Amino acid sequence: MSKQVRNLGVFLAICYAALFVQVNRLTFFEAESLRAQPENVRTVERDFSSPRGSIISADGQVLAQSVPSDDRFRFQREYPTGGLFGHITGYFAFELGTTGVEDSYNGFLTGDDIGFDINQLDDLFVDRDVVGDVTLSMRHDVQEVARDALGEQEGSVVALDPRTGEIIAMWSFPSYDPTALASHDFDAAEATSDLLNADPEHPTRSRAFSEREFPGSTFKVVTATAGIERGGVTADNPSYPVSDSYQPPRGGRPIPNFGGASCGGTLFTILQQSCNTAFAQMGVDTGGDELQETAQGFGFDRDVPLDLPGAVQSTFPAAVVDDPPTLAQASIGQNEVQATPLQMAMVAAGVANDGEIMTPHVMREIRDDQGNLVEEFDAEVWARPMSPDTAGLLRDAMVSVVTDGSASRLDEGLDGFVVGGKTGTAQLGTPEPRSHAWIIGFAGPSGETPHVAVAVVVEGQPGASEQTGGRVAAPIAAAVMQRALAAPERTDEADGDPGSGG
Amino acid sequence: MTTATRRTTELGLLVLGTMFVVGAYLLATLPADSQIPTTVGPFLGIIVGLPLLAHVAVRRLAPRADGMLLPLASLLNGLGYVFIVRLDEGQPSGPEGLAGLQSVWMILGVGAFIATLVIVRDVRLLERYRYTAGFVGLVLLLLPLLPIVGRTINGSRIWVSFGPVNFQPGEFAKLALAVFFAGYLVEKRELLAINRSFGPLALPDPKHLGPVLIAWGVALVVMVLEKDLGSSLLFFTLFLVLIWVATERASYLAVGVLLFAGGGYVAFNAFSHVQERFDTWLDPWGKDKGYQVVQAAFAFADGGLAGRGLNLGVPYKIPVVESDMIFAAVGEELGMVGAASVLVAFLLMIGAGLRIAQQSSDGFERLLATGLTTLLGFQAFIIMAGVVRLLPLTGVTLPFVSYGGSSLLANWVLLALLLRISDRSALREAERAAAGQLTQIGG
Repeated sequence: MSKQVRNLGVFLAICYAALFVQVNRLTFFEAESLRAQPENVRTVERDFSSPRGSIISADGQVLAQSVPSDDRFRFQREYPTGGLFGHITGYFAFELGTTGVEDSYNGFLTGDDIGFDINQLDDLFVDRDVVGDVTLSMRHDVQEVARDALGEQEGSVVALDPRTGEIIAMWSFPSYDPTALASHDFDAAEATSDLLNADPEHPTRSRAFSEREFPGSTFKVVTATAGIERGGVTADNPSYPVSDSYQPPRGGRPIPNFGGASCGGTLFTILQQSCNTAFAQMGVDTGGDELQETAQGFGFDRDVPLDLPGAVQSTFPAAVVDDPPTLAQASIGQNEVQATPLQMAMVAAGVANDGEIMTPHVMREIRDDQGNLVEEFDAEVWARPMSPDTAGLLRDAMVSVVTDGSASRLDEGLDGFVVGGKTGTAQLGTPEPRSHAWIIGFAGPSGETPHVAVAVVVEGQPGASEQTGGRVAAPIAAAVMQRALAAPERTDEADGDPGSGG
Repeated sequence: MTTATRRTTELGLLVLGTMFVVGAYLLATLPADSQIPTTVGPFLGIIVGLPLLAHVAVRRLAPRADGMLLPLASLLNGLGYVFIVRLDEGQPSGPEGLAGLQSVWMILGVGAFIATLVIVRDVRLLERYRYTAGFVGLVLLLLPLLPIVGRTINGSRIWVSFGPVNFQPGEFAKLALAVFFAGYLVEKRELLAINRSFGPLALPDPKHLGPVLIAWGVALVVMVLEKDLGSSLLFFTLFLVLIWVATERASYLAVGVLLFAGGGYVAFNAFSHVQERFDTWLDPWGKDKGYQVVQAAFAFADGGLAGRGLNLGVPYKIPVVESDMIFAAVGEELGMVGAASVLVAFLLMIGAGLRIAQQSSDGFERLLATGLTTLLGFQAFIIMAGVVRLLPLTGVTLPFVSYGGSSLLANWVLLALLLRISDRSALREAERAAAGQLTQIGG
C-alpha cells in the first residue's frame, strides 16, 4: 500500500509540475502574443480607463489631452487644436487604433515606460498614476502660419531646425480633426473614419512624410552636390555650354530647357537659372553610380528615422547606373525621382548644416506629472551627404538663387537674415499643363548656421513655367521662416493666467 | 514530533498566513483616498478570528494532528475570500453581496470543521456505516436528476434547491463515496487482488470487476445526464486510485483508464456537449464557448511575473471568475508568483495528506486519508488545468478558494477527517511507544 501511496504522490506532483509549466507559458512565454491577439481588448480598455499624458507644442499649446469622462471609460481624449496637428498627434481611438505621436510615444503617455521611483513609503500606498507629458519641438504659431499661408491648396509645408533635426512645423492640406475619431461613440467614430478613408485626397495621410511627389528642379541641389563632391565641379569650372537642349549619350530624347530657353555657364549661374541642359550634363559627366550614392547619402532609398509612424522612403531610380538618358532626366529631378517634402527639407538642411543631416524628430522632451525630465531627444547626425566645404559652396550658390535667381521672393520679410533656396516646378504631363510648385531653402542670422530649413510644395498648380515654384511656393516658405525665426509667443496657459488674486 | 511542537508550528504558520491574507485584504479594499472602510472590522474578524478558532478547536479536539493542513487551508480560504471581496466590490454589474455570503459560508465551514472533530472521535466508526455511506453518496450524486428539486445552472444539472437554498450535493457525495470506497475496499481487497492470467497479461478476475463497472457506470451517468465532466472524472479517479492502492494491482488502473477512455470516446461521439468541450479545448479562439478560457489566458498574460496588483486588474471580464475561474484572477493580479504559490500550497496539502495516510497503521484510515487527499488534490488540479487549458475546462470549484457554500463546507469537513486520522495514528503511535517502554522496563 505504501508504495502505491508514494507513487500517487509522485503522479500528483507531476500533474502540478505540468500546471506550473503551463502557468509559465501563459504568463511569460506566450504573454506577448496573447496580448497582441485581436480579441484581447484588455490593454486598450485599460489604457482608455487610465489617465494619459498630454501632447504639448514647443510654445505651450496643448495639442492632445485626456479629460475625465463618466461614460464607459474614465477619460476622453481631446484635441483642442482640431485638424492643425492631426497628422502629428494622430488619434487615440478604441476600435480604430492609435496613430501619430499617440502611437510612437504611447508607452510614455500611459506611463508604462516611465520608471517609477519609490521615494517615500507613502508612494506605495497612494494610488498615484504616473503619466508622461510629451512636449514637441513643433510650434503652434509656426504651424498656424503654415496652414494659413498654404490655404486650401493641396500641398505640404515642412520647417525644421537644421542644427538639431527638430521639426518646427509640418503641415499638409487636407488634414483631419482627430477628435471625432477618438469619440467613445464607436459607431460615430467609425462612420467618420469611413468618410475620411473614402475621400480620394486621403486627409488622414500626411502629404509631408507619407506621400512622395516629383521634386522637380529642387533635386538639382543633390545633383550639384554630386558634381562638386565626385565630379570635380567648382564655382568657376566647368562652364556648361549655353544651349537650348542637351542630348545624352547613347540616344534617348534630348533634354530641353523650360520654354525652349537657352542657358549655361558656371555653377552659380546654372543654379540661379535652374538650367536643365547644364544639370543634365553635370549628372551624366559625374556618373550614375556617383549620383545614386549622393542621393542615397541624402536619404533617398532609405527609411527615414522620423519618430512618427507612416514615414515613407523617397526613391531614386536604380536605372541611372547604366542608362545615360535616365541619368540625364534624373539629374534634373525627373524620371522616377520621388521625394517626400520632409526629405527635400532635409536636403536643404544638409546644405545649411555643414553637410550633416540630423535625425528628424517631433519630440523634444517628456516629463512626468511631477515635472521630472523622463526622456529627451538628443540631436544626432543621421546622414553626411557632403563635406563642410561642399556645403559652404552650395550654401553660397543657393543664397545667390535668392539674390539673383528664381527664388527671389524667398526673402520677403526676412531682412537682415541670410536666405538661400532653390525652386522647382515638377510638370505633371497632364493635358492642360499643371505642375507641383516647389521651393526648398534655409534662413538664419548672418555668420551662423541657418536656424531653419524649409520645403514647400503646392500640388497641381496651373501652368508649367519654371517661375511657378518661385511665384507660388516661395512666399509661403518665406512666411513660415519669418515666424520660425521670431521668438515664439508662449500660449502656455499656466503663464497666461492673469492676475489671480489680484 | 511532540504534540506541543505540532500545535506551535500550526499557530506560527497560521499567524504567517493570516498576516499575508490581512495584508492582501487591506491592499484590495483600501480605496484610493486611503480611508479605512467602515466595514473592515467584521471582515478582519472573519479572516483572523476563524483560523484562530479552528486552531483552538484542533488544540482541544485533535491535539496530535498534523500542523500543516490547517494553516494551508486557512491561507487558501483567506486568499479566495480576499479575491471574492475584491470582485464583489470591483464588479460594475453582476450578483451583489457575494463577499457577505462567502463570510457566512466560511463561518459555517469552520463550524462544520469543529463539529466533525467533535462528532467523529475515531474515523473507524465510519467504517461501520460504509454501505450506508455508499447509498447516501449515490443518492446525493443522483439527486440533481430528480424533478422539482433538481436545477440546471450554467449548463450543468448538479444543483438541488430546497426553498431558497441551492446546493451542490455532489460536493458531499464525494466524501460519502470516499468513506464507502475505503470501507468496501479494505474488506474486499484480498479478494480483489487475485489476478488471473490471460496469456502474458495478468488481469483482475472478471467476476471481481463488478464494482469497477458500477463505478464506471455511475461516472458515465454523471457525465452524460448531469453534464458534469469534472465530477465524473473526479469520482472515477477516486475509485481507481483507491482500488489500486488497496489491491496493489496496477492492472486495475489500466482497465479503468481503458474503460474511461472508451466511455469518453462514445460520449464524445454521442453527445454534443462533450464534443464541444473538446473542440474548445483544442482551439478556443474565436468561439463563444471558448470565451472563458481565452479570457483566462489573457488574464494570465496580463499578470506576467508579479501580477498587476490586487484590485488593479480587470478580472470580471472572465465569466464565473468568482468560482470556477478564480485561479485566473489570482494569475492576473498576483501573477505567476501568486499562481505558483497556490500550486505550492495545494502540493503541500497533498504531501501532508499522503503522509497522514502513510503514517496510519489502520487499513481503512489509510485508504480514507488517501481518498480524501486525492479528492482535494485532484479536484484542484482538474479545475486549475482547465483554467490554464492544460485539460478541457470542467466546472468544479477550486477547493477553499472558490466562492461556494457546498464546496467550502465539504472541504472543511474533509480537512477535519484528515486531521482526525492524523491525530488518531499519532496517539496510537505514542501509546505503542509508551507500551514498548513499559515492556522494556518490565523485561
